[in-house]
Amino acid sequence: MSNIIEIKNITKEFKVLNRREGLKGSLKDLFSRDYKIVRAVDNISMNIEQGEIVGYLGPNGAGKSTTIKMMTGILEPTSGEILVNDYVPYKNRTRNAQNIGVVFGQRTQLWWALPLVESFKILKDIYGVSDKDYNDMIELYQSLVDIEPLLHKPVRQMSLGQRTLSDILAAFLHNPKIVFLDEPTIGLDVSMKSKIRTLIHALNKEKNTTVILTTHDMGDVDALCRRIVIIDKGKMLYDNDIEHLKGFFGYYRTLKIRVGGDLKQTAEKIRAQLPEFSVSADDEWISILVDEAKSKVMDVLSQLQKSYKIRDMQLEEISTEEVIKKIYEEGVK
Amino acid sequence: MKRKSLGFYFRIYRKILAQDLKSKMSYRADFIISTIGMIFTNIAGFVSFWILFQNFPSINGWGYYEMLFLYGFSLVSLTPVQCFFDNNWALRNQVYSGDFIKYCFRPINMFFYFQSEVFDIKGLGQFAFGLGTLIYSWNKLGLEFSPLMLLKMIVFLITASLIMIALQNAAAATCFWIQNSFFVLDLVTKFKDYARYPITIFSPVFRFIFTFVIPIAFIAYYPSLVVLRPDEVPILSWISPIVALVFFFLSYKLWMRGAMKYNGTGA
Ligand SMILES: Nc1ncnc2c1ncn2[C@@H]1O[C@H](COP(=O)(O)OP(=O)(O)O)[C@@H](O)[C@H]1O
Ligand SMILES: [Mg+2]
Repeated sequence: MSNIIEIKNITKEFKVLNRREGLKGSLKDLFSRDYKIVRAVDNISMNIEQGEIVGYLGPNGAGKSTTIKMMTGILEPTSGEILVNDYVPYKNRTRNAQNIGVVFGQRTQLWWALPLVESFKILKDIYGVSDKDYNDMIELYQSLVDIEPLLHKPVRQMSLGQRTLSDILAAFLHNPKIVFLDEPTIGLDVSMKSKIRTLIHALNKEKNTTVILTTHDMGDVDALCRRIVIIDKGKMLYDNDIEHLKGFFGYYRTLKIRVGGDLKQTAEKIRAQLPEFSVSADDEWISILVDEAKSKVMDVLSQLQKSYKIRDMQLEEISTEEVIKKIYEEGVK
Repeated sequence: MKRKSLGFYFRIYRKILAQDLKSKMSYRADFIISTIGMIFTNIAGFVSFWILFQNFPSINGWGYYEMLFLYGFSLVSLTPVQCFFDNNWALRNQVYSGDFIKYCFRPINMFFYFQSEVFDIKGLGQFAFGLGTLIYSWNKLGLEFSPLMLLKMIVFLITASLIMIALQNAAAATCFWIQNSFFVLDLVTKFKDYARYPITIFSPVFRFIFTFVIPIAFIAYYPSLVVLRPDEVPILSWISPIVALVFFFLSYKLWMRGAMKYNGTGA
């Protein structure tokens, strides 16, 4: 299989200057040797195939953006190797730029004062897109989202959501092999998020574009990514299918029941009865997080039925959100 | 991929410029107010120059029209830096906020991409005013006018412009290395106001500084001598076009080196 991105044991360390105050301080800084080393990315390897959508996850400061900057050629790895489209990105930044699109959430790359369509036309020239390819792309965009009202609006008059949408369209415009999206849905409302997910999904299907997506919103991940990579403190924690992820801590499912009487009190009793599971209660439901490796949900349910009159019940799979939270908290064994 | 040609950059620039002007005109009130502001700035500049001369009819052997010539020369030669390189003023903020990162993602020269983003239309008024002043004083001084003289004039105007552009690039680029770099750019800009005076009026120390350290004497004084006093042109005037080219190239290299070093802090 051909890999569009190959990363082998990359590490990135930043030398951070301990800055001094004031004008005199900043002049001194020029000659200062007072550094500390921050290892932002620590020995990461992965291969990504053409057409994949990879969710690149991790808490704030994990090293996601740093990894993306190395893949886009802005940063040179301290050690290790990266190949993107068979090029070393740092040594071929402009050549690499021709084959990628990049969006950093909340930071537009469009011409602030110009209507979107004029930005598109300038990009068309910069990337040398033919008239036919350009028109086809605009047509495709029109079939996917309602861009007509956006096209003639100056970017500075757009809402954050419209701007992000526009930036994503601009990133795909020259039909790059890879698009990097760094927290594209940050700060957006639910309907814009869903619009953007649909768009990314469709463009990936239509053009077989590889998409590397970082996000804190598991809704993005569930909607788009089959594969996820998780890093924390620069180290790789997980790289596999999203289905495997759910099995990672044993198969957890949440059993929710509704009983008569005081819920809090009943929850207490159940907690004593089932010490190996975590039990919680809200105004309506008592929730029991069951590890199916230890006992089956059905056994737990029938056991509870002997002691309580259960009026209603629900069964929930553990959400991606909960799994990721657990990974951040506990790490992977 | 082959290197992008000069023609390519020229086309892109023209396109951005045309769109930018169109959008500026569409904010009509904005446009009118900044045009009026531009006219008043120029008039105020001229009035203070004129008042000075009411009090000192001649400065160090330089008469009114000669000074006016220098004044016009400096206005014209400062136009390109104002029109085409004004985004240098925003560089520092973009570097600290992390917004500068966007210039790293396009398959074109970063310096070009950055500078092409802003065209400051206010410079055009300055250009018209400066050119008028220049022609008027040229006429009054009864200076020689021939195609060769005109050619010299153009070469030396370009020389002067390049020097100012180089100074500003270098000053702006310091923000890639120094945190509080605003004072550098500010300082260079303040000094450029001295460019319109003949360097002989300054003390030897400042004469040295303005020639070899912050070479603003090359913005108007040395180049204009070629037209103004053709019989006593110092060697420094003749070599100033080369100085300008070298200096511009070095400032570009410095700027680019800073940009390469930049690693997207805060993104
Ligand atoms: N340019 C830089 N200089 C110094 N330290 C940096 C720089 N960029 C990132 N870091 C540090 O590297 C670590 C990872 O940052 P980043 O890649 O931005 O994380 P993420 O995108 O996952 O939130 C953080 O500790 C951050 O402070
Ligand atoms: Mg980040």
